[in-house]
Amino acid sequence: MLDAIVVILTVSGLFFFLGTSVGLLRFPDFYTRMHAAGKGDTLSTMLLLMGLALYNLHHPSPVSILVSFKIMFIGVAVFIASPTATHAIMDAGYEIKLKQWVRRKEPTTPYAGTERRKGVAK
Amino acid sequence: MKRLTLFLVVLLGAYLVWTTQDLPDWGDPASPANSYLSTHYIKKAYEETSVPNLVTAVLADYRGYDTMFETVVVFCAGLAVLTILRRTKRKHKKNVKFRPQREGVDIILQNAARLMIAPMQLFALYVIAHGHHSPGGGFQGGVILGASFILLALAYDLKSTLRRFKENTVLFYSGLGVLIYAGIGVISLVLGGNFLAYAAWGGLLGISEVEAHSYGMLGVEIGVAFTVMAIMFSLYLDLASGGDLDEGL
Repeated sequence: MLDAIVVILTVSGLFFFLGTSVGLLRFPDFYTRMHAAGKGDTLSTMLLLMGLALYNLHHPSPVSILVSFKIMFIGVAVFIASPTATHAIMDAGYEIKLKQWVRRKEPTTPYAGTERRKGVAK
Repeated sequence: MKRLTLFLVVLLGAYLVWTTQDLPDWGDPASPANSYLSTHYIKKAYEETSVPNLVTAVLADYRGYDTMFETVVVFCAGLAVLTILRRTKRKHKKNVKFRPQREGVDIILQNAARLMIAPMQLFALYVIAHGHHSPGGGFQGGVILGASFILLALAYDLKSTLRRFKENTVLFYSGLGVLIYAGIGVISLVLGGNFLAYAAWGGLLGISEVEAHSYGMLGVEIGVAFTVMAIMFSLYLDLASGGDLDEGL
């Protein structure tokens, strides 16, 4: 039973990692690529770590429970840090007015990076 | 001429590759490196130093001189960057393309940093304090500590970070770390041992000589951590602001 859950978690984690890499390579512009990298990476890392933590509980003892707890701590750190890093990179691209992808080749106005933050006091 | 050089280089390279045949195999237990010195460390390290982590025992005790001067190298690298970048008068305004329009108003970054920094520092202290029992030590813990301050400077701005952790304090800690390391060595000289022979501390602390090795290593790791933490942050300060500590990137 435990094995089945571990296998499901790990395989789905690997599946989402595959999706992340495909998205990173195949999406058309910076923003969509970062979107794929940020979301897929976080989810698949969490799934893999959960799988590892459960696998470690095969023979429950205080030591193995502690190790599982530590693995979940890595998950918490990744869960906070990875989306924040994605946000910071995305924001930097937004600031330097990277063009977004559009389906039709029409002249579009680029983002105005400063206007978005007009109300924010320095 | 170029072809001759290429020929000579290829010849020399081939010769070097050919001589690697005489080297012992990877992980060969009968090789000279594995048959004399390392067996002594593996068998005797715990008896002699009461430190279960063999790597730290070799790094901070058997090889204490080397690690001390590694710390001095880190210190000197920080000083070199400081000498080159700091105190240069800026002739014209900074010409940074795509300078961000705002500094320190990104709520997401700030709150994530607030969530991360305290656990990071706690974990760094754990890594330092547990360096002689589990993987870790002064260098690793110091880097994590330094990174927590860099994260603060990245998420907020350089000026508010410098108000919390002034440049003078940073430089004081970088020197203090080396002083702690060398001081432990000198005091063991005064107490009648060799330089960095922690066994001499046993009488002063009222513990056995073997245990004194363990505590000496802990003290040395703390010194290393101070220096590495301060130099990491000082490097960031000077490199990110171009030396005038006015504003970060």
